Formats: sequence, C-alpha cells, structure tokens
Amino acid sequence: MIKKIKASTSEKIILIFLILLGVVTIGLYIVLKNECLFVKSFDPKNINFKNPNNVAILNAPCGNVIIELYPEISPNGVERIKTLIRSNAYEDIAFHRVIKNKFIQAGDLEFGKKGILDYGKIGTGKSGLGTIKSEVDNNFNYTKGSVGLARTFKNDTEDSQFFIILQDEPLFEGEYTPVGKVLYGLEVLKKIKNHRHNEYILRPDFINSFKMLINKQ
Amino acid sequence: MNILRAILLLIFFITPIKANTIYNIIKIPKLEIYQINTKNKLKYFYATAPFRLGTQKNIVCSNPNKKDLEIKYKTIYKNLSRYSYNYLKKINLKYIVMCENLSISGLYTAGIPDNIMKTLILDIKFNENYFERVIHHEVFHIMYLQHKEIFNNEEWIKFNNPKFKYAECSTCTNDIGLEKYENTKGFFTEYSKSTAPEDMAEVYSHMIHLKKYEINLIRKIDPILNSKISYIEDKIKQIDNSFIF
Repeated sequence: MIKKIKASTSEKIILIFLILLGVVTIGLYIVLKNECLFVKSFDPKNINFKNPNNVAILNAPCGNVIIELYPEISPNGVERIKTLIRSNAYEDIAFHRVIKNKFIQAGDLEFGKKGILDYGKIGTGKSGLGTIKSEVDNNFNYTKGSVGLARTFKNDTEDSQFFIILQDEPLFEGEYTPVGKVLYGLEVLKKIKNHRHNEYILRPDFINSFKMLINKQ
Repeated sequence: MNILRAILLLIFFITPIKANTIYNIIKIPKLEIYQINTKNKLKYFYATAPFRLGTQKNIVCSNPNKKDLEIKYKTIYKNLSRYSYNYLKKINLKYIVMCENLSISGLYTAGIPDNIMKTLILDIKFNENYFERVIHHEVFHIMYLQHKEIFNNEEWIKFNNPKFKYAECSTCTNDIGLEKYENTKGFFTEYSKSTAPEDMAEVYSHMIHLKKYEINLIRKIDPILNSKISYIEDKIKQIDNSFIF
C-alpha cells in the first residue's frame, strides 16, 4: 500500500513562490517586449484644432504624432512638407538619425525607403523637387517638439528631410527653417529606435504614414 | 595591430554618443555657450578645453580662464555690437568662439575666420594694444571670403606705387607690425604690406577703429590711403547700403 505523503508547509511556500516567479517573469517579458505599452496614441478625431488645415498626423510605430505646421513663419518650407505629405512620399521612410531624448531626423526619400534602404548614402538623398531657400529670419523658439527642415552645411539646401527635437535647442534659431511644432505625441517619438553608440540607426523604425488632417489640395 | 584594432573597436562600442549641438553646427569641439541672447543675434562660445581643428589638426587653441574671458568678452561684445543683424547676415557671421593662444601651423594669430561655418575664432590673449582693432580686421576677412566677387585684388594693387610689391603670402614675411605708422605713405601698418586682402583688412579695421576726424585727416594727407578708403567704402555699400562707418 502506497502511503500518500503530504507536502510540508515549506514545500508549499516554495511551490507558490515558483509559480509567482513564473507569472512575474512572463508579465515582465510582455511589458519589456512591448515598448509601446504605456505610450498614449492620440486620435485626431477626438481633438479640436485651431488651424485644422495646418495639422499633420505622422504615424510612427508607437502611435500618432500630431504636428501643427506654421506657414506664416516658413511659407516655402511648409508648402514643401505639405506637397510631400499629400503625395504620400513619407510613407515607409526611415527615422534614420536618432539621438535618444534629443533629436529625430527622417525624410530621406531617395535612400531611406523601407526595402531599398541604402545605409551608405542615407541622409544624402533628394526628393526630386529641388532644394528650397532657408527661411530663418522670423523669430522662432526651438523648444521641445519643434519641427525643422534639415539641410547640408550650406543654407538654401533644404529639401525633404526634417527633424523633430525632443529637448529645447536655442542655437537652432536662425540656423534651421522651422516648419511646425508637435502638439501631441512626443512620447511616441521618444520610443523611436535609437542606438546608444551611433546616431545613424541600423535597422531603423519607419514612418507608417504622414497625412494632413484635412486632405485638400 | 589586431589588438590595437580590437581596443579601438571596444572603445567605440562602449562610448555612448553625446549630442553636442555646438559641434554639430560649427564643427568645433569642446565649446560651451557664453552668451546667445544678443541684440544682433551673434552667439558667443568659449573653449572649455584645448582643441585642435582642420584636416591636419594644425589649428590649435586653449581654454581661457574665466576672469580673462569676462573682461575680453565685454570688449569683443562692445566692438561687434556695432554691426547690425542684417549686416552680419549679409557677411555670414553668426558665431564667435573665444579661446586663448590661437595658432595655425605653429604661427600665433589673432583670429581665424570661417565664412562657411559663419564662425570667427578669436584669441582673447592677443596683444592688448591692437585687440579691439583686430576684431574688425577679422570681420573684414569673413566679409572678403563671403563676397570674393566684390573685392578685386588687382584693382587694389593699382592704388599702390607701381614699384611696390606685396609678399607672396601673409605669413611669408617677417614684417608683421600692427602699430599704426605716423607717416602712412599708402599703408596703415607694416602688416598692411603683406598681401592685398590683409591690406584691405587693415584699412577697414582702421576705418572702424579710428575717429572720423582722424580718417578725414589721413584722407587729406595720403592720396593712396584716400583711394583705398573710398574703395572699401564703396564695396561695403554694395554689401549693405545702410552701413555707417
């Protein structure tokens, strides 16, 4: 006859501890794996905008970034961005240059497209629309969330690439053409893939879509 | 060799990137903001540690001490404040870097202008007697580089006595005195005789630095300098018609 052996109290405690440890591990794995878990994605339909004609929605891996464009500050720069947004040119374009909590750059239409990414040339590509003149004379405070047009070392070389700053950058005033400011979604931008050792990103995140709130020509 | 490569790679991989906005904009390392809220929007930086520049790393400058910096900043600021934002924009000058013992290929210099990067590096330890004037001398070089099409060396050379010849380059002569001649004879200083652009910069800096009546007096007694002053006046008007000497 086989006698049933009852588990001692300490054995029961160890079993419970192991089960809890397993649950916590699985939970943590899910939380850590999903970097977007606690990032709020804003739905533009639920927001009232002062200037809806100048609102653009950039959809990144963790959600929407809602940007107000400032045509009164940089008419040509904003016109260029709107033209490219309306032609869906920014879709599947890489966030190719990212510095954690500081700076994000995207918009290389030539060498930054998903599937045909060229790591050797990314950041040097053109849109095919030509360059535009820098618009840096109007006062503009480059505070956190400001959006500007990227350029080469020389002025008047702005094209399709843009950047968004994640911290105040007063030295950017008068240096780069400002085109707008992030109204909602800075947390989404902070989750864009970055590397600790290099600002140019291997296997970068991509823009899912970039659209105007009101899609009129 | 492989070990060295491995060490270099290791350093690369363990060194986190540091976003340095000043470096990203003007490509000069080890700088910090001294003052950026100025009326004419000039941004002043200072070196926090010695730095080297150029493909040959032949431009060298050291960090100044805080007390010197405080004194010299006031002088630099006072002199550069006479230029308006519009004027500075036209000549492409926006950033002033203040450091100490500035040299290029081992030769000490008051300043290094870089119109492409909109930057003027100034040695705050440069000879006290000429410091204020050479600030404007270097401003001229920025302007000259930015508007090469306006300034014509050949035209300028014709103002001089036909027997006079400039040196091959600004560092190809030992005659580099900056003391103003009592008897000018077509040149403000010994250094004016080095090259045509240096001569222009010397004329410009004296036009800014001297009193109006002193310039008028020189114009009356020195016909060569009179022509050179008129030339500079004319060219500056072409760049910015509103500029007043």
